[in-house]
Amino acid sequence: MIGIFQAKIKMFIRSPWVFVMMTAMSIGFALIIGGTGAYTAITVPVYTTSEGIQNSIIGDILEDSDTYTFVWSSEAEVMEQLSSNKAEAGAALGEDNFQMIVGVETPSAKIIEQTIEEAYAKQAQYEHIVAASGATTVAGQKAILDELQASIAAPVFNIEVENFRGEDAFIYDNTFQTLFGFTLFFAIYTIAYNVLPILVEKKEGIWDRIILSPVKKWEMYVANLVYSFLVGYLQVGIIFSVFRFIIGVDFHGRFIETLLLMSVYVFAIVALSILLTAIVKTVAQFNAVLPIIAVSSAMIGGAYWPLEIVESKFLITLSKLNPITYGMEMLNGAVVYQYPLKELLFPISILLLMGVVFIGIGIHLMERRHI
Amino acid sequence: MLELVDLSKKFKHMYAVKNLNMFIEKGEIIGLLGPNGAGKSTAISMLSSLIEPTEGDVRFHNKSIIKNPAPLRKIIGVVPQEIALYEDLTAEENLQFFGKIYRLKGQLLKRKVDEVLEQIGLTDRRRDIVKTFSGGMKRRLNIGVAMLHEPELIIMDEPTVGIDPQSRNYILETVKRLNQEKQMTVLYTSHYMEEVEYLCDRIYIMDKGNMIASGTKDEIKRILSAEKTILIQAELLNDTFINFLHENPTINRVIKEEKEITIMVPKEINIFPILVKMAEDAKIELNSVDIKIPTLEDVFLHLTGRALRD
Ligand SMILES: Nc1ncnc2c1ncn2[C@@H]1O[C@H](COP(=O)(O)OP(=O)(O)OP(=O)(O)O)[C@@H](O)[C@H]1O
Ligand SMILES: [Mg+2]
Repeated sequence: MIGIFQAKIKMFIRSPWVFVMMTAMSIGFALIIGGTGAYTAITVPVYTTSEGIQNSIIGDILEDSDTYTFVWSSEAEVMEQLSSNKAEAGAALGEDNFQMIVGVETPSAKIIEQTIEEAYAKQAQYEHIVAASGATTVAGQKAILDELQASIAAPVFNIEVENFRGEDAFIYDNTFQTLFGFTLFFAIYTIAYNVLPILVEKKEGIWDRIILSPVKKWEMYVANLVYSFLVGYLQVGIIFSVFRFIIGVDFHGRFIETLLLMSVYVFAIVALSILLTAIVKTVAQFNAVLPIIAVSSAMIGGAYWPLEIVESKFLITLSKLNPITYGMEMLNGAVVYQYPLKELLFPISILLLMGVVFIGIGIHLMERRHI
Repeated sequence: MLELVDLSKKFKHMYAVKNLNMFIEKGEIIGLLGPNGAGKSTAISMLSSLIEPTEGDVRFHNKSIIKNPAPLRKIIGVVPQEIALYEDLTAEENLQFFGKIYRLKGQLLKRKVDEVLEQIGLTDRRRDIVKTFSGGMKRRLNIGVAMLHEPELIIMDEPTVGIDPQSRNYILETVKRLNQEKQMTVLYTSHYMEEVEYLCDRIYIMDKGNMIASGTKDEIKRILSAEKTILIQAELLNDTFINFLHENPTINRVIKEEKEITIMVPKEINIFPILVKMAEDAKIELNSVDIKIPTLEDVFLHLTGRALRD
């Protein structure tokens, strides 16, 4: 087993090009499309009819957004920006409600709308709390608000704060969306191409040679699985480390957790690759099928754009069978939503289950079909 | 030592091997001969426990290996028909890898690798990546890998296809030497008659999944004792002449190639005057008419009516 493993490592070191390319592409795409949150924020012009909004909680929340830069403008400016296509969407903010001003219906517009909606929802919640606290003086109310703000900003969330967030509030963070999306997407290629040699070795008779040797069947599979897992995991580790330590994306303090969670995803993808390798008959078929699977999974799994904006029932159902969906859910849950591990157990167990089932079926198929 | 009993293998609806009976004794070099698709590789896969027969049994020292292949696997080395090597590793690394999976290590592994490299004549290319090797060098390494663990029985599936005569001779010599010096038992598959004739003590001939002849070289050639093989060469062979040959009841077989025709006739018949008359009638000119010394190729021709290689 160790021998097989060593041979694989040797060959990997000798031609690491697929690996290097996929890693570089993940980093490159995530950087170009996602940016690091600082300079790619989309500008959204807004105007208001009521003076107080800009300094209210709504104003604060909008200004805090990482994804969008809300620019206070006049109505005329907003219209001008939209008609000249300088902005995708704008909004008119009222006291208790707002109106979207949209040039063309785009995914971003939807997300902007959700972002603003959320700000209003928060404001309402704050008001309820302040009202419930019974503070009557302006100073007293302000103290409570400050306390609230502070507890939200604090890195450790307590139950109290969690309640503040509505069940299905949707946070869109472009940096992590693209970083996670492209990492999950390109990892499929790296892993699949490191599982593929099983097929090649079977065809070429290397596998038969090993079968005739004292090496056990399970050792052959374990060596291959462990190797593919490690290569996939190494790639993820490199990508995340580059973003964490070189580019300076902070993962909201959950870098280690993110890495650990990725092991589950990598495992599921190794399993998927085994299944794929068992189903196809030739390398050519594999080469044809892999991009279809990878790209379509990425599309319906929310790697390219957030699943939250997908409306088709059919696609949503399909996404439930897709490891990327759960990978994104897990990573976004951990980093963007800051969920505790307990709340991530669902996607984690689905991925583990998928892994076990895929490997089971995959190995069964491989064993049944000789050569 | 090893025995195949009524062995058959069916793929979908076609028998690749049908009712094969065969035995191999220690120290022998056995030839397994047959044209493309005869079922040689399938037979070898079954007898080396890589695929399960549909019917029949493989017995090693009188015990079936179908359920328990371990004792057989311990003593065989298989040289597959296709090159089965890691193309991205060097010759030496390949040998080390396949040595390791046979539990060789340390000094012993090193010594065996050196020894095999010497035997297959690749010592000075040991650090080169296999991908850069010529076909013949790959073939030699393909054989070398199967010899590392000093198998008692080595099974070679067409080890010489597609390589130059020099490499081919080298391989044949190596096989012969291993047999003589190390008493290695060899099962040698080929569709080259000359190789099998040169190497083997006993020969099995397969065609279309069936065993069509078996025995020592002499025994097999004696199959032809009642017939003689005649080679006719002529300019501008025409159909009339060929038809005459086919129509003549004393001629058993007619095999036409581009500029020559091989026919088989019973020993006692004097065919020369008949041939000359036919040529006259068909208005062609005979260049030569020779009686051939029978070869295994002729045996195959006799048995199947087809040339071994087409
Ligand atoms: N896995 C398989 N599935 C279906 N048919 C097969 C399979 N393997 C072999 N065959 C068929 O069985 C027959 C015998 O094939 P085999 O490879 O044993 O012949 P061979 O004597 O080794 O020929 P060659 O000289 O070309 O190597 C062929 O008709 C082949 O198409
Ligand atoms: Mg063959």
